[in-house]
Amino acid sequence: MTTRERFQAIMNFQPFDRFPVLEWAEWWDETIDRWHNEGLPKNITDRYDICQYFNLDMYKQDWFPESAPGCPEEPYHGAGILKSEKEYEKILKHLYPVDVVDKKQWDLWAKEQAQGDIVIWFTVVGFFWFPRTLFGIEQHLYAFYDFPKLMHRMNSDLTEWILKIIENVTQYCNPDFMTFAEDMSYNHGPMLSKDMFDEFIKPYYDQVIPVLKKNNIIPILDSDGDISEPAYWFEDVGIEGILPLERQAGVDMAKLRQDHPKMKFIGHYDKMVMNKGEKAIRSEFERLAPIASKGGYIVGCDHQTPPGVSLEDYKTFLSCFREYAVKAGQLSQKELI
Amino acid sequence: MGKLNKLADFIISGNANETEKLTKELLDSGTAAEEVLNGGLISGMEEVGRRFKANEFYVPEVLIAARAMKSGMTLLKPKLAESGVEPVAKIVVGTVKGDLHDIGKNLVAMMLEGSGFEVIDLGVDVSAEKFIQAVKDKGAQAIGMSALLTTTMTNMHEIINELNKQGMKDSVKVIIGGAPVTQNYADEIGANGYAADAASAVELLHDVLGSKK
Repeated sequence: MTTRERFQAIMNFQPFDRFPVLEWAEWWDETIDRWHNEGLPKNITDRYDICQYFNLDMYKQDWFPESAPGCPEEPYHGAGILKSEKEYEKILKHLYPVDVVDKKQWDLWAKEQAQGDIVIWFTVVGFFWFPRTLFGIEQHLYAFYDFPKLMHRMNSDLTEWILKIIENVTQYCNPDFMTFAEDMSYNHGPMLSKDMFDEFIKPYYDQVIPVLKKNNIIPILDSDGDISEPAYWFEDVGIEGILPLERQAGVDMAKLRQDHPKMKFIGHYDKMVMNKGEKAIRSEFERLAPIASKGGYIVGCDHQTPPGVSLEDYKTFLSCFREYAVKAGQLSQKELI
Repeated sequence: MGKLNKLADFIISGNANETEKLTKELLDSGTAAEEVLNGGLISGMEEVGRRFKANEFYVPEVLIAARAMKSGMTLLKPKLAESGVEPVAKIVVGTVKGDLHDIGKNLVAMMLEGSGFEVIDLGVDVSAEKFIQAVKDKGAQAIGMSALLTTTMTNMHEIINELNKQGMKDSVKVIIGGAPVTQNYADEIGANGYAADAASAVELLHDVLGSKK
């Protein structure tokens, strides 16, 4: 199977030869710095060069920025950049750039995708994440009550922009999937109620998701934390998948699969066991491989490999990853016919 | 009694303006500050905490309730001081060194304040020295530490070691929380307790201080 055929088979709950061996998100700088001191050649710094070095499946991602250079920056993490509708209007000229699709890159990626060598995905900010970047983390949570009209205006403007981005990108090819960056949960579930989700977020997903589906792009929601409760809300608005399904936040893949038999999942390999030795690494794959063999689930680190993981640890992890990928593939041949 | 219930309702619905108005009205009509605090503000925040734990309230609802509580507390504080009403206890809170995440810590601080504790909030990226100095300066009986990252939660241990070194561990209770933190971790580093959420932090602090009414 090619990289792309494998992805499509898994996502369509069809038999596959093995599940992909990948790191779905870019590595932390600290992790790569550590590995450079432990034997990773210093000239290998680019995300896809690192993938190639470790012989990982190639999933290429473009994250389209919703603000252009010159947009005010928050003075410190979580501070936000505005406090009122007037201030939103002032920065509008810096928001929603449409010329963010790199023609040269997408031409090349489209060819690689057509040959089956890569899976292409893109990311845009979602309707919870985006107003948070403008208001700041805490003020955003007050804004649901203090600035409901402005919240709707922001998300309506964002919707228009996302629709333009989809139109632009599909001129090159149909990406295999996309993610909405949301991070709307923490370790005790969602930050907001379903009523708030329905009022401020759902109407905008309702406009964007049908366009993605029309273009055969699988919409996946990226939220850290425990998504067990909002997974139902996501599924209701047409989101087809979720990542990264953090184990430490209490996500239980077996239960999630049982509750959402048609959803697609990526991640959930507990990053905290990656430096605990081969036995622990195997045990985590033993937990996940049988679920993966039933389709619709791509195993991967449940966010990014942390800097506490040595290069040797990572090589052990990848060696086990490859072994269980094949085992799950063999099982899928029996289970998914 | 009816007006105190109404005040609690304003807290629960996060109505800061009405909370302020009614607190003022109650104080002007001669209701004791302590009665307004216990029957109105604390009672309201207790219900907010209950609903938060039961997933009936989410973070925005807790924040606006706490904001309403603060608007009432601003009027009550001088009156409470005048009448010699002491806080349940004093606690120094902060997010540990290297960590800039503060929303969880802020929720805990608000819930504690809403339950009658005096909270000295040191903010984020707080060193062991700062925690210890604040405890000494303010005469606090407890420290509440928060961390979101696995890479920074280890700094909690450093603070407890420092309390031990300075012979303060028996007199200062330590409670911890944050996404990667667990009861096992609290036991491992010698904290007095771990709270999974802001409402549980209030119960935990009462428990470790033996201050439950």
